Amino acid sequence: MTIATAGRHSVARLWWRWPAGLVAMAATVFAGTCIGETPIPLSIVVQTLANKVLGAAYPLDPIDMGIIWNYRLPRALVAASCGAGLALSGLVLQSLLRNALADPYLLGISAGASTGAVTVTIAGIGGGAVSMSLGAFAGALTAFLLVALLARAAGGGVLARGTGQIILAGIAGSQLFNALTSFIIAKSANAEQARGIMFWLLGNLSGVRWPDVSLAVPIAVTGLIACVWHARSLDAFAFGADSAASLGIPVRRVQVVLIGLTALVTAVMVSIVGSIGFVGLVIPHAARFVVGVRHGRLVPATALTGAAFLIVADVLSRTMIPGQVLPIGVITALVGAPAFALILLRGRRRP
Amino acid sequence: MMLQARNLGWSVRRLPIVHGVDLAVREGETLGLVGPNGSGKSTLLRLLAGILKPTSGEVTVEGKPLSGLPRRLAAQKIAYLEQQADTGEAITVRDVVELGRTPWLASLQPWSDEDDRIVAGALADADLRGFENRFWATLSGGEKQRVHLARALAQRPRILLLDEPTNHLDVRHQLSMLDLVAALPVTSIIALHDLNQALTCDRVGVMAGGRLVALGSPEDVLGVERIAEVFGVRASMVVDPADGTRIFRLDHLR
Repeated sequence: MTIATAGRHSVARLWWRWPAGLVAMAATVFAGTCIGETPIPLSIVVQTLANKVLGAAYPLDPIDMGIIWNYRLPRALVAASCGAGLALSGLVLQSLLRNALADPYLLGISAGASTGAVTVTIAGIGGGAVSMSLGAFAGALTAFLLVALLARAAGGGVLARGTGQIILAGIAGSQLFNALTSFIIAKSANAEQARGIMFWLLGNLSGVRWPDVSLAVPIAVTGLIACVWHARSLDAFAFGADSAASLGIPVRRVQVVLIGLTALVTAVMVSIVGSIGFVGLVIPHAARFVVGVRHGRLVPATALTGAAFLIVADVLSRTMIPGQVLPIGVITALVGAPAFALILLRGRRRP
Repeated sequence: MMLQARNLGWSVRRLPIVHGVDLAVREGETLGLVGPNGSGKSTLLRLLAGILKPTSGEVTVEGKPLSGLPRRLAAQKIAYLEQQADTGEAITVRDVVELGRTPWLASLQPWSDEDDRIVAGALADADLRGFENRFWATLSGGEKQRVHLARALAQRPRILLLDEPTNHLDVRHQLSMLDLVAALPVTSIIALHDLNQALTCDRVGVMAGGRLVALGSPEDVLGVERIAEVFGVRASMVVDPADGTRIFRLDHLR
């Protein structure tokens, strides 16, 4: 903590952080668009973007243009949205539940979303009238409500001071919904469907196209705006819900709005790309080590780190083994776990 | 009346924890709250702070019902210092004290130099100069208590509700905490265990079995018979020959 004590909050000194963050974000998305298994020169990437965005008319190979515009760019944008959304969900849950282990996975939200998605796509519930995203959202919400009810009945509750129960209930919920997902797949899916869905469950951005972008980006941006808006409320939960209430936070309303939004963001992201572990748990901790625990800085830092992390993981998943795409969940864990171990070891030396 | 409770009660699963409390505190007054463990002091403070919703009766602040007040406005008037509020976050002393400004700042309203000034003042009042950049986990129990006090002071409340604020404090800081609260131009209610500290309050309320069994000046309320009845100890009054201050000497009932 070497920040000067006087005027360290002043707007004049910190205004540059938002544009700087946006530039960093755009640079990462651009890098994700440039790198892939087919080498395409930088100039062609720039010309393609100029053709599509600015209406320029460079003569280009339509295959190259297709790869860049229809394949890589939407993929990078969705990866960024998912990374930011999942990381923010983890941050909100960790802050509100005051538990360093809370993330959308541990609380059963992702497992519920998977069950919902599988119920719609494989078991055919809803007869095609219900989209996979809606199914995933319903599953996510159902799972979370069940977990919350169980925790409450066990004496902990989402809103109570003891938060050990919510984690235990989340583990039970995750197991149940993962088993339900496997059950539905084993019972109803044919071999090809089963292989596809297993790949999806480990996280997969291969099928991502522009319509997914128009769903993922607004949801991620909504999540980010809500978190920025509630940054001071999240700070006030540092000493628990009673302390937050005595600082003027409408505790119940903030909890309902933010946890509901977490379920929505997670559900939408899981419905687009499948379950991607690790991001929600680890990215907020990584961001805390860098910018500290105040949410005014932590929220943007978490969103940015999560977005960049998932773009990098996606690039690696496409390029690590030539000619083969790995599930992105494998990469996030392979890269993320050692990186997190390093952060933990470094953090130990702090006062 | 600054703060008033009428027939205030709170039950959990039909077990009454606090019931039938009538209380009125004048502006600027310091009211001590004493009573044995489990007599309902903390619950009463939480009800008065508006953190618990009463199951019967109501609390009014400056004549207006507390339940009708938005949380933010309530927190601008009332600061509440709970017992043993702890955190696992790597948060600094200054960060914690800055939380006290929360009720005064809208969501996107920038932090001002005035806020900085108030936080610096609160840190100084709680004798925490030089502690600003210390991490919470490195503080002792008494230092944490003083940081919480500084946070409550940074809230600039009209009413200060303190739940055993002298816990964990060394003797010097116990005295300066009570002197500071007495000197502040705010109305305060302090739950205390030390009967001698209660003697220094303007008025004292005695809690027993969830009821407010006595309320009045320390001399009237803290009689030898009542102390024996409520606390189950024998008290004898001793007078300091230096200045005539009365103190209690406490012993087992025989």
